[in-house]
This record gives sequence, structure tokens and C-alpha cells, in this order.
Amino acid sequence: MNTPFNTLNEMVRLTSPFPESDTVKDWRASGRKVIGWYNPYIPEEIIHAAGMLPFEVTGNNEPVQMQGAEAYIYSNSCSKIRTCWQLQLDGQYDFLDGLISSHMCDQDMRLSEVWAYYKKLPYMDNIYAPRKRDEVGVQLYLKDLEDFRSRLSQYLICRIPDQHIANSIRIYNRGRELMWQLYELRKRDRPPVTGAEAIEVSKAAARLPRERFNEMMEQLLDEIQRTGREIKKPRRLMIVGNDLHNTNQVAALESLDAVVVVDEMNIGIRYAWGQVDTKLPPMEALARYYVMGRPVDMHTWNSDGRLQFIGEMVEQFRVDGIVSEIVRFCTYNGWDKFDLKKQMAERGIPILELDLEYGHPAGAQVKIRAEAFMEMLESRAL
Amino acid sequence: MSTDNLITIEELIQRLKMAKEGAKKQPGLMKSSASYYQMVSTYVERIASAKDDGCWVATHGTQQPLEILEAMDVRGCFIEFWGAIADLTGKLESAPEALSISASTGTPGEVCSFFRNFDGLSHAGKWPRTDFYLYASSVCDNVKSFHTLGRRYNIPSFGLERSYYPFTAHAMEHWKNEYKRYIAFLEEQTGKKMDYDRLKEVVALSYRLTELHLEIDDLVAHVPCPLSPECYSGTLLAIRLLPGTQQAIDFLTELRDELKERVDKGIGAIENERFRVQWSSFTPFFDPTLMTFMQQKYGAVNVCDMLSRWRGESKWMLDPEDPLGNLAYRTLLAPGNCQYSSGIDVAANLCDQALKFKTDGAIFNNNWGCKTGASYGPIIKDEMMRLVGVPTLTIHCDILDATFISRAEIESQMDSFFEMIENSKAYKARRNLK
Repeated sequence: MNTPFNTLNEMVRLTSPFPESDTVKDWRASGRKVIGWYNPYIPEEIIHAAGMLPFEVTGNNEPVQMQGAEAYIYSNSCSKIRTCWQLQLDGQYDFLDGLISSHMCDQDMRLSEVWAYYKKLPYMDNIYAPRKRDEVGVQLYLKDLEDFRSRLSQYLICRIPDQHIANSIRIYNRGRELMWQLYELRKRDRPPVTGAEAIEVSKAAARLPRERFNEMMEQLLDEIQRTGREIKKPRRLMIVGNDLHNTNQVAALESLDAVVVVDEMNIGIRYAWGQVDTKLPPMEALARYYVMGRPVDMHTWNSDGRLQFIGEMVEQFRVDGIVSEIVRFCTYNGWDKFDLKKQMAERGIPILELDLEYGHPAGAQVKIRAEAFMEMLESRAL
Repeated sequence: MSTDNLITIEELIQRLKMAKEGAKKQPGLMKSSASYYQMVSTYVERIASAKDDGCWVATHGTQQPLEILEAMDVRGCFIEFWGAIADLTGKLESAPEALSISASTGTPGEVCSFFRNFDGLSHAGKWPRTDFYLYASSVCDNVKSFHTLGRRYNIPSFGLERSYYPFTAHAMEHWKNEYKRYIAFLEEQTGKKMDYDRLKEVVALSYRLTELHLEIDDLVAHVPCPLSPECYSGTLLAIRLLPGTQQAIDFLTELRDELKERVDKGIGAIENERFRVQWSSFTPFFDPTLMTFMQQKYGAVNVCDMLSRWRGESKWMLDPEDPLGNLAYRTLLAPGNCQYSSGIDVAANLCDQALKFKTDGAIFNNNWGCKTGASYGPIIKDEMMRLVGVPTLTIHCDILDATFISRAEIESQMDSFFEMIENSKAYKARRNLK
């Protein structure tokens, strides 16, 4: 058992209780607003530049019983959106002043509509997330972002200036740079953090004021250096598929003599990836980054790039096996399954496919499958 | 794994011929029903003979500018039609078998069965010969499958995408430019240049089809409703399969004239119309006998559905010299397009329908693989009750798979539903009953 990091404990403390943490309460107590965002095509930089706290709307480490939500969103839909809606019904997201979604997927879009119809917030908005990664997509997204900036400015009765956005870009770029440093450290033979811990770091980034997060991230990297902590597990895993916010799911995998060294989640590696170009006009720079600057994700029609990216990360992080965690009813991941398995087979990388409900713990059946997968990896290593 | 029950294009042509002959002989059916089957046969035969006729075939999803295809000698093969038609022609075993084959390739059972049917038939080599795939970000995420399957079967594909708020100036401009790129793709694939004069003619025919559709809507709104189940899907298929063609205009003209005659003579779909029903998603493709059953058992007549209705006034011909601009506008107003908008917008559209068609109850088919419906279904239900006092029955089903829910279960739910409507104050007030 490795000694926990003090800084990580502090991150968890600052983001607790979930979701309305002490940090959120302090923020609101000072008269400032909190805006929920829902998927990776919402530029937090614009919300930040408007002086508001961007807060990712998700579930957390406890599974949520969704019976109440199913009166509003039928059960043949993604359990992530039902979880978030259940948390809203339970009053846990009452602190939000607004919610911004993007039409990255049908279900994200529908959650924002259900929210708008049954619990309208003072500010609600939607942005289109282009399915094609090309210049046309960038221009479409840029115009949508400009419209969004105008609507948000109207809500605030205050134009959000380019200069503020440029400043926010610098702050968020720094955050990405620090998070990426942590990914780099996970390439080591003995990485300093577990996959579960890395996800806790990403969650903190999406829930804390970014300046505060950046300070803590610097402390964490320093603490990693000082302590020389190493995770000694023989098998290296990669998680692909939908975002996981229940780190207990990852911890359960890591209890089986393996460590998760990389992922391809939006809340994971994509959240830490790359930099917004500070030489471009800030809105254009954001549009280019959000459409083209990150690895291809599941929502892009042409998923060749996504599959190739997964393969490249397997090589860079020397992954022994992939765990594909797809939330049931995810259309995009559903259509990529066949080719993901085929392409990874061609690369000689085994995949364990776990289709789960979002946030729910791995049961005994999943544990048996995971154990068998680890045994198979072990026998391949011999 | 069996592939014996999968529908083939040859079998479909045969079944449609038989249906057309049967419609001519069966007493009591609308005269237009034979022409209805003729129109559908024409559509399928055009696909079958495309290669011999020097034409191309594009398998496509919904919300496509089919007029562009028509002007370029490309024949559309609509995957939703191909999914439903096996059921509608009585080949109920085909879809479950295709879905099973799809599952065997690793495609999850939770994605839309129109696309799984397409996947399964393609895997088994039973999908019509296709030169390319065409799709659009409206209406759903499943269109990703076109690229996925295109990669798998080496078929080129092109997708159209539009902004979430489509009526802004920049979104309209973008959408029109997408059509230019669409044409460029087709020109590259076919080696043929777009003839814009021909496109203008096709667009003009398509607009005439819209006008006929709207005239038919006005007639169907009469009490008693003159439209019988055997022709119910006629407008939907004319608009969605053959826009910009004379065949579709001829059929809708005949249907319009017959409906007018029936209205003038006071002939309804049934003698004693007790309930007027709207389908707030799609009609029951998975069970082609259900609409007739509802008429016979409850006196419930189907008067409208979301997929068959235009948005707003639908005057989309803004400038006859700008066919792409007209088409860009047309597809935003086209039947079914409101699904791409918010559930609140869909509900508003349905409430307009409820008032126009004087409906007593709505039936929402919550299709297992449809993520948009699963989330806006409750909003529609609540909004229709709140705004127009129309209650909704929700049937949890699969759009294509007749085995997903039993007929007995549906009948049991309908028994209670119509009994509830009949005893409701809103129904009594509408019918001036005490």
C-alpha cells in the first residue's frame, strides 16, 4: 500500500462534499456565479473570463439510484445523463446559476432540454460540436462560440473582452501543461500514481477555480518528486471509452495486480492534452484547439484517428491490455466497438470489454472477468 | 447463423407487386391504395435497375436533399424505409434475423435498429448494391455508422452537418455551403457535373409535392377523418422517397382528389369515429396491422404523426433561381426535422397538430434504440397534456422488431388508454358529451 499524497488528499477535501463543495460554497458566498458545463466542447476559458466558476456536471464515487430520473428520461438512455438528472432532482445541483451543454451527442443535448423544461436555470445554452475535424468545422464552431460569448455577455450585462479570454487561456494552458506532466510521469516503469488517483486529479481540475488547481498541481508534482513514490504492479492497463467519475471502478481493477497508466477519456488525457495557441486571436485560438487541437474523440464521424490514437498511446505508455468501459446506450462507442477490437487485435493488444452503468461499482461477475483478463495478460507475459 | 429470412430486393419487388394486385381486388380499400403500392414499387425498382439505367445508388439516412440526387441520376436508398418495409409487407422475420447478425459482429443491441438492420443486411450481403453513403448530423448520432460501415465495406461516404441553432444567418449560410460540398462529393464520385437548370426543375416539382402534402393535411383534418390505414403512409413516403419526381406528384394528386371526394360525401375511415389518434413519434412500423386493429376495436382513427408533418407554414421556395438556398431551407422545415430541435419545440409542433387534427389521444412509441425519443418523450407527454389536454400512451417497443413487445401487452395498454380517454372531461368537452 503506497502512502497517499497530502496534496491529493487536499484536492479531494477541497472538492468535497460532492458536488457543492466547501470551495463552491465559498465562491458563491462571495457573490460569484457557478456555471455547469457538461461535455468537452464547452470552452471553460470563456466562462472563466466572465468571472464565473466553470463546474463540470457529473456523478462521483457513489452510485446513484436513478428511479426518480427515469420518470423524466426513460431507462433506454445513457445512465450518465440519468445520474446527473437524479442528482439535480435530489437538489444537489441547486447551486448552479447556469448550465451549458454542447450537442456533442444526442443524450447530452437532451439532458439540457430536460433541465430547461423541468428546472430552468437563469442561464442555459447549447453549442454545436462539429463532427468533422476540418477548417469548415472550425469556422462553424467559431461562429457558434461568438454567438455564445454574446449571449453570455448579455446575461452578465457586460461584454466579455478578448483580453480577459486571452488571460484565461494562459491560465488553462498552464493547467493542461501540469496535468500533462503527470501523464509523462506515468510512462515510467513504476509510475508514481495510480489510475484512480489520476482521475481524482482530473476531477479536481474540473471542479476547482483553475488558479487554485494549478497551485495544487505544482505542489503535487513537487511532492511526487520529493517522495519518489512508485507503484509496483506488473501489468499496465489503458482505459478507453466513456468518462468514468467513480474512481472506485478503476481502483477495483488496480486491486488486481495492475496499474492504469493511461486512458483515452475526455476527462482524462484529452483534458490534459496540448495548448491553445496564444499567438492567434483568442476566440479563433479556442475554436482551433477545441475542434482540431485534441485527439480525435468518439463523437467524430471519422473515428480512424481515434483508433490510431489509442494504438499510439498503447505504444507510448507500454500498455499490456485495454479495458474498454462503455456506458450502455452510448451510440458512438457502440459503433466503434467492432473496429476497435479488430485494430487492437492486429496490434496484438487484448481488450476486456466491460459495458456498465455509469458510476455503478463493478459487481462479482465483472470482477471474475477482470481476474480472468489479468491471468491472460500474465500468461502472455511468460 | 440463418440468413434465410432476410429480405432481398427481388423478394421485395415481388411482395409489392402482390400487395398492389391485392389492393385492387380487396373491397373497401381506398382506390389510391393501388397507386400507393405502385409508387413504392417504382422506388424499389429504380434502385434495382440503377446500374442498368446508368445511375448510381446512394444509401442514406434521413434529412437528405434528395432533389440533388434526383438531378444527378443518383437513386436514394433510405435505410429507414428499408428497415420498415420488410415488416410492412409482412416479412416480419427479416428484421429480427438482421438484428441478430448485427449483434454477431459486435454491434451493441442498444443502438437504433434501423441501423442495426442495415448493419446485419450489409454483413450478410443482402443490402442493395450501393455506390456511396450519405448522411447528416440531423437527426441522430447513429449516422456515425455510415462512416464506420463505409470503412468496413470500402464504400465512400459524406456527412452533412449543421449548427444546433439552424436559423441564424451564419448557420443557414453554412448549411447551404454544406450542400455545395455534397454536390462536389457526388461530382467526384460520379464523374458527372451538376446540371443546375435540371436541379431548378426538380426543386420546383418538390415544392409542388409539398403543396399537395399540405392540401392533404387539410383534408385529413376533417371529421370524420377520410384517410384509411392502407394509405396512411402515402404522404410520408412520397415526400421522403421520391421528392422532385412526377411519380410522387401523380400519387399525391390522386390521393388528394380521392380524399376530397370522401370529404364531400362525408365518408370516413370508419363509420363511427370515436377517437382521433396522433402518433407523437412514429407509426407502429413493427406491427402493420395495429392501426386497422385500433379502428376496428376502439373506433380509433389515426390522423397525424410527427414524421409526416412539416414545420411552420413550410413555404420554403424563397427564390426559384436559388435551388440550393431553397433546399437548405426546405430540409429545416421538412417532416421529422423537428426531432433535431429541443423536446420543447417538438412538443409545440405536436400541440399544433393536436389542435389542427382535433386529436383525442397521442401514442408515443419509445423506441428501444432511440436516445432522442427516450429523453424527449416525457416532455412531449407533459406538454401535450398541459397545453392541449391530450393524454399520451407510451409503448416501450423496438421500431422494427415485432418480437420486442407482445401484441397482447399492447392491446392491454390500449384497452386502458381508450377507456381512460372516453371517461375524461377533456374528451367529453371536445365531443359535447355529458
